[in-house]
Amino acid sequence: MFDIESQKERNIMYKAIREFFDSKDYLEVFTPTLSPDLIPEPTIQNFETKFINEFAGNLDLYLIPSPEVYMKRLLANGFPSIYQISSCFRNSEQLGEIHNPEFSMLEYYTLGYDENDSIALTEDLLKAIKRPTTPSYALPPFIKMSVNDAIKKYAGLDLDALQEYESLKQAAEKLGLYVPPNEEWDDTFNRIFINFVEPSLPTEKPVVLTDYPYQIDCLAEKYIDRPYRHRWEMYINKTEVANCYKEETSKEITKAYYLKEYERLVNQRSVNNLPIPKIDSSFYDLNIPKSSGVAIGLDRLLMCILGKAEITPLLLFPLSDMIHDGL
Amino acid sequence: MIKAGQIDKGTALLIKGQPFVCIDREFVNPGKGSAFVRLKLKSPSTGQVLAETMKSQDNAEDITVEDKDLQYLYNDGTNFAFMNVESFDQIEVPMASFPDYEYFMKEGETYRATFWEDQVLDIIIPAKIVFTVAEAEEAVKGDTVQGATKYVTTETGLKVRVPIFIKQGEKIRVNTETKEYLERVNK
Repeated sequence: MFDIESQKERNIMYKAIREFFDSKDYLEVFTPTLSPDLIPEPTIQNFETKFINEFAGNLDLYLIPSPEVYMKRLLANGFPSIYQISSCFRNSEQLGEIHNPEFSMLEYYTLGYDENDSIALTEDLLKAIKRPTTPSYALPPFIKMSVNDAIKKYAGLDLDALQEYESLKQAAEKLGLYVPPNEEWDDTFNRIFINFVEPSLPTEKPVVLTDYPYQIDCLAEKYIDRPYRHRWEMYINKTEVANCYKEETSKEITKAYYLKEYERLVNQRSVNNLPIPKIDSSFYDLNIPKSSGVAIGLDRLLMCILGKAEITPLLLFPLSDMIHDGL
Repeated sequence: MIKAGQIDKGTALLIKGQPFVCIDREFVNPGKGSAFVRLKLKSPSTGQVLAETMKSQDNAEDITVEDKDLQYLYNDGTNFAFMNVESFDQIEVPMASFPDYEYFMKEGETYRATFWEDQVLDIIIPAKIVFTVAEAEEAVKGDTVQGATKYVTTETGLKVRVPIFIKQGEKIRVNTETKEYLERVNK
């Protein structure tokens, strides 16, 4: 029942990752997975729990969806380039195949890097952890393509000409997609993306999609002269495996982003009666140095390196197996 | 109302006023984006398959369906006429919504039908049905190339390839999905 071989493979991969970053003088850090405050990500649902203390009173705590805010605080406080392997938790997602509510994440931040340097670093990382049986589709060189080139190729649209919401909506409807009223640009874009781009991505090599539309708000720096951000995502065999930013360094932009996202989160969750984690000003009151950060889903990366199609057989205790009577 | 994220295989929905049944669903979470579900929906009346992408938090209009037993009476070329075996009400169903079903409708036979309010969404045809051979052509002598078979027509008009020994008036069991002869049924 328990797959010892894949556990050994995971152990080999983790050692190789640590050797790779240690040899480049990155410092491995260990930040909390249980926190009273979370990064405000309205689209990621959280796990909520309670700290029970008879002296201090009770306190709501949350399991982290990623270690990002803590790692950025370290960068802003004089740490060198850092990496971390941690457990992360995302609620309300599908069970099974390529999802488990608790999963392993590798995050690495490199001082002085931009997102292109991170592509080269990630290619080296994949070379360093490859196994004799790793399929070619999980090995460098990466296929690099901008999101707009992918949209042109697979949906026949040019995002440069679809910056106005109405024109994007009409283009989506012409492709046969239903777009509900009052939708935002990023959601309509994602409808096109998941219906036309994701299913058509090449599978012979890992694909790095660069230059995401700026309308998908995040802490990746925006280009000065183009409506895109310094952000990429990597797909291996059509599965999303990694996300990378050239990190936003402006304190004002970071603060405005966190406050706006938090407001969106509070609005959505109050309507749906979901947990509303707090946000701490120490997350955005930071002078983040020029850097680039990458987050990789390690269960999925292991799956790709071993040429498997699902993560659940690689987990010793996937939640879907632990729930014997179903949901 | 139901959240799109709660739609499962078999959930019946109303899309633009038309009933559909979910036949497949897949969750998609684009990076930094809302969670979506990719749905495959089938219109039980036309057989049309619709690919629909909805945000997990979007509301969808789910409908409650109910199975009832119907006895087949006849068709007039436009509608099938059935009788509800419980209420004895007569029900007409447009034949155009169920193409080729006339070949499997036997007078007096009971079929299970899925209803949404007064509308028949689906009629379940049993996997095997016994028909009477209404017309049987003579076997062509010496024709052994096709394993000595010939065509017969059932009382419902269905053409079936059968072994040459099957005669008019005999009963045969037919696989309704493949329209293939299975066996001769002896009384």
